[in-house]
Amino acid sequence: MGRGDWEQSVVENRKPHVTFRGLTHEYGNGDARVTALTDIDLEIYEGEFVSIIGPSGCGKTTLLRIVGDLLTPTHGTVRIDHATPYEARHQRLFGAVFQDAALLPWRTAAENVSLSFELNRDADGDDKNRDVDELLDTVGLGGFHDSYPYQLSGGMKQRVALARALAARPRILLMDEPFGSLDEITRPDMGYELLRIWEGRPTTVLFVTHSIVEAVMLSDRVIVLSPRPGEIVDVVDIELSRPRLQFIEESQEFADYTALMRGLLKGARREPLAV
Amino acid sequence: MSLLQSKPAQNDTMPVGGSSPQSRHFANLSRFARRGFFPIITLAAVGALWEVIVRVSGVAEYLVPTPSAVWSRLTGDLGYFLFHGLITLYESLGGFAMGTVVAVVAAGVMAHSRLLERTVYPIALLIKVTPIVAIAPLFVIWFGFGSFPKMMIAALITFFPVMVNTFIGLRSVNPTTMDFFRLLDAGQAHVLFKLRVPSALPYLFAAFRIAVPLSVIGAVVGEWFTGDRGLGSVIIVAHHNIDMPTLFSAIAVLACIGLGLTGITALIERRVLFWHDSQQSGPGL
Ligand SMILES: Nc1ncnc2c1ncn2[C@@H]1O[C@H](COP(=O)(O)OP(=O)(O)O)[C@@H](O)[C@H]1O
Ligand SMILES: [Mg+2]
Repeated sequence: MGRGDWEQSVVENRKPHVTFRGLTHEYGNGDARVTALTDIDLEIYEGEFVSIIGPSGCGKTTLLRIVGDLLTPTHGTVRIDHATPYEARHQRLFGAVFQDAALLPWRTAAENVSLSFELNRDADGDDKNRDVDELLDTVGLGGFHDSYPYQLSGGMKQRVALARALAARPRILLMDEPFGSLDEITRPDMGYELLRIWEGRPTTVLFVTHSIVEAVMLSDRVIVLSPRPGEIVDVVDIELSRPRLQFIEESQEFADYTALMRGLLKGARREPLAV
Repeated sequence: MSLLQSKPAQNDTMPVGGSSPQSRHFANLSRFARRGFFPIITLAAVGALWEVIVRVSGVAEYLVPTPSAVWSRLTGDLGYFLFHGLITLYESLGGFAMGTVVAVVAAGVMAHSRLLERTVYPIALLIKVTPIVAIAPLFVIWFGFGSFPKMMIAALITFFPVMVNTFIGLRSVNPTTMDFFRLLDAGQAHVLFKLRVPSALPYLFAAFRIAVPLSVIGAVVGEWFTGDRGLGSVIIVAHHNIDMPTLFSAIAVLACIGLGLTGITALIERRVLFWHDSQQSGPGL
């Protein structure tokens, strides 16, 4: 199924996939209490690419960690098709790429990718090696299967991390500033490559970023959060056609979206979009 | 497993500047030569100076022997020193192995539960702060003659640094990597063997660098109290007889054992931890 058809079915079905209800999280207690997120109500649809943008410390990482059951919220609920994050994690619905590639330094790129199979008790043995090779080729690391992380650049490590996440065949891909530590030259390339890979797979993506350009370039929708405590300021539909090709950033439409987003992040009320 | 692979050869498609295995090999050799050159020269100079001072000043041999006297004693009866040296080596390594096994198990147990940590750690600390020389006679009474009591002392002295470092190592997992394991619902055994244990290896080797020479100390101290075999007892006997050349020969053999063991440990570390930051720096001096 091509991305175009997929898009179509998303629009038709609009079946909520991840649902947030009154989600609030507070760290610590007493005087040390920090409210990281307040009152998040949100639906994310199957196969959607959703970015979460907001200033540092507004609770983006907290939000992702709650979805992935790495953190239990103090108030409110998250459901993944009626399942709790705990159940979803045990059903192995998640994959993740973090800002820190967090590869196992004693394993080669290929061995790092196959970690996802090894950790999965139900994965069957035969297809693994072929899948690993294929995945590494997909993320553009054809010649580096046997390289160790210390031999790879930051961008290449993130590619391995992406391949490792995809190896788990996740239905929901959690990405926490995955390209945040990359330079401005490598970064957009990684974005386009992520789009190309995502377009071939019906995967829901929750993508945390503090780059406006990245959010607009990649997403179907962008959730804009306020400074701490993080609250939803607005949800912006990005109606740029797909597949999104290189240099889309240069278009007027794109510039309008980034301007809108910049305004929202500065705390401005939303004005009707002049397009 | 991949952990034990040596550093892979880097081919020219690698982004990191590297050299061919051959030139790397030569680099190692020349580095060894460079490293060994100055210490050996210095040692020879000190020996020569020593020889001259002793001869000129006429100090009695039962106080300070000449290096040449020590050398002729050592080479004249090499089999004797080799025999006792091998016994000390055997006791050191045996004790080191026993101490390491117990320490790793204790660290694993402590890392597993806070309650056990609070129970085991104070006992371990008590062992550490008690001078080993004070315990040695006790072990000799308990375990009698032969190699076993010496191994026990070497094991005891090895135990603490290995235990503490392994414990810290098992706890020092990259939190993001841990998140990834949890997110994929990894089982306890996978977290332990695929993540915690390899993460602890750099800490374990740091402990070995301390514990390996300590284990030789443990063995020698044990031998002092039961003058049957080993370089420790050779030293005690030579001391009674005021036989300086023998005493110095035994010390020299012990120094060689320490040096050899340290070198072998470093070599194994380089092979096992090729992936670790500590191995990435260029040829340091
Ligand atoms: N473990 C923690 N304990 C206490 N406060 C925390 C913890 N983690 C995050 N916080 C606080 O919660 C807020 C949100 O953090 P985070 O979700 O990491 O923000 P973001 O990812 O958007 O930068 C921050 O102000 C941070 O200081
Ligand atoms: Mg964050």
